[in-house]
Amino acid sequence: MPESGPNSNLDLTRQLAQTSSAFLFEPKNIVPFETALCWQRNFQKNLIEQPFSPQAVWFLQHFPCYTLGRGSKKKNLLFDENKSLLPLFRIDRGGEVTHHMPGQIVGYLVFNLNLYKKDLSWYLRELEQVLIDVLNLLGIEGKRIDGLTGVWCEGQKVGSIGIGCKRWVTKHGFSLNVDCDLAGFQEIIPCGLNKVKLGKLSNWLPGIKVCDVQPLLRESVRRRFRLNWENKILD
Amino acid sequence: MPALSSTMTEGKIVEWLKNPGDKVERGESVLVVESDKADMDVESFHDGFLASIVMPAGSSAPVGETIGLIVETEDEIASAQASASSLPPQSANQEKESSSPEVQEKKASLESSKTTIVKQAPLVPESPVSQPQFVNDGRVVASPRAKKLASQMGVDLATVRGSGPHGRIQAEDVQSAKGEPISVPWIAESNAPARIVSEIPHIEKKPVDLDKRPAEGKSFGSRGETIAFNTLQQAVNRNMEESLNTPCFRVGYSILSDELDAFYKKVKPNGVTMTALLAKAVGLTLARHPQVNAAFSSDGIAYPSQINVAVAVAMEDGGLITPVLQNADKTSLADLSLQWADLVKRARNKQLEPQEYSSGTFTLSNLGMFGVDRFDAILPPGTGAILAVGASLPKVVASNDGSISIKKQMQVNLTADHRVIYGADGAQFLKDLAYLIEKNPSCLSS
Repeated sequence: MPESGPNSNLDLTRQLAQTSSAFLFEPKNIVPFETALCWQRNFQKNLIEQPFSPQAVWFLQHFPCYTLGRGSKKKNLLFDENKSLLPLFRIDRGGEVTHHMPGQIVGYLVFNLNLYKKDLSWYLRELEQVLIDVLNLLGIEGKRIDGLTGVWCEGQKVGSIGIGCKRWVTKHGFSLNVDCDLAGFQEIIPCGLNKVKLGKLSNWLPGIKVCDVQPLLRESVRRRFRLNWENKILD
Repeated sequence: MPALSSTMTEGKIVEWLKNPGDKVERGESVLVVESDKADMDVESFHDGFLASIVMPAGSSAPVGETIGLIVETEDEIASAQASASSLPPQSANQEKESSSPEVQEKKASLESSKTTIVKQAPLVPESPVSQPQFVNDGRVVASPRAKKLASQMGVDLATVRGSGPHGRIQAEDVQSAKGEPISVPWIAESNAPARIVSEIPHIEKKPVDLDKRPAEGKSFGSRGETIAFNTLQQAVNRNMEESLNTPCFRVGYSILSDELDAFYKKVKPNGVTMTALLAKAVGLTLARHPQVNAAFSSDGIAYPSQINVAVAVAMEDGGLITPVLQNADKTSLADLSLQWADLVKRARNKQLEPQEYSSGTFTLSNLGMFGVDRFDAILPPGTGAILAVGASLPKVVASNDGSISIKKQMQVNLTADHRVIYGADGAQFLKDLAYLIEKNPSCLSS
């Protein structure tokens, strides 16, 4: 007789739909913003054209840069758009201006929401939960603020979220400040929120590094979206 | 204005990617809508021309509101623009309540035949989210677990939309109706924070309270206890031990499964299940390989008169059972799916007749749904072979011309009794099965 999984729901075919898979990429080096954008576009395009194409997840860090959503207002940039000291990208995601830099983990997720739930608000809340779960494991309480998207600790925003979607295939994702230099945020009104105070995990856990948090994030994403990684994970 | 989420009431138009008068192709992005921190490219469902923008970029509109007009031909642009200007932007359009493209399309064409107003195709994303409140017409078909959950959670089954075959209500449907997160029962994870064992250096705060972590996997007893085997487990034990007297060998094959997945997607709306598809594929292949359907007996090799595919199913309270799909080669996919649903239901309620779980001539065991890439199975006594099916996973594949592509692959592993089935028999069977699944899955519907 065959081996069998523990406590399976008897109608096994239902469960086929309950796990899906994705390629996982965790570049060791810092990645230029436009390179990662290109990677995402390729996977998104494939998924739109071929629904059975692989999904993909990236965890990486960017060189310092600013990015604006398509609907972002320029007044949230406190400098002249043409005289930015750092590279500035206008990209196809929701939300206002944000800032990336080393020491911040950026998570990009190209997912086919047709496999999950065709509901962008649900998806944003799931991404928040991914971050909240990781903070929880670290002993920090992460919170949502009603009406806003993102994750806060003791009033400081540590996690930001912005996504783009086409035919329910997502792009972009979240960023989590671990031990980065937050000075660059002073040149902008992050997320268009005037009084927002940015925070990073090292405020609560001195000495914490990206390499401590990334494995937790990876696992949190895998569980929340019931993924199998297609490729072997090397640590 | 399309609904980007079930709770969205209005959306903001970030940008029109097309100008009035521009040609628009089916599937081409026409505008970007933002809700919260999410952007959605909204595409046209038709070839045509963007005649008029009713709601300009930067404005917000309630879900269902007409935000722009697309016409079929260039000539209609002017008249559409005229009708658009007579349409006060805020006034509710007659199409407001519905966001289903088919319905809107019908309404629009009805309208145009009646009044010669230009055909309006409201812009909606590929598949709108909002679903009307669903009410069954009195007859409720639900799985036992769904019924139990519904009574526990106080959910009225009459208001639940079933996602199972023929609208059967599954446990998950009850949970989602109640707004509960859908739990995956066998890993006990649901909404609990992810449990990760990897150690976290440099951190003084203790990250996880080990004792409070939910148990991994399932168990039938508590720590320190010994629980007697139930009848079913005893039966399984006897069969397992008996298999030690069988000289078995294993042979594996990687089958490309994109075609099968595509075919499954096509027939799924008819209630066809993956179990039925696999059983049928195996049944048809067995019909051409009688040796693999045969079994050892003390008198010699016994060739059964039928091809009966048994499928292993784990029982929730321990043990497993193998309900049998009789004449899998000759039964239609739809019938196999119905029979399977019925067998599983009665297996759960322990109502199967011995004939229904012991008459298998070949067994199928699928752990693909757990993401397992390969495993091997133990041969059930009285049969010649069992096929272990792993998950269908994307793999980088090199083709003959040297090009590299990503294709889905499913690993199967045949365990066979060497007294009856030899290596070459098993290999030929797998080769034919792979050919059917890779090249010709549509023959399954015959």
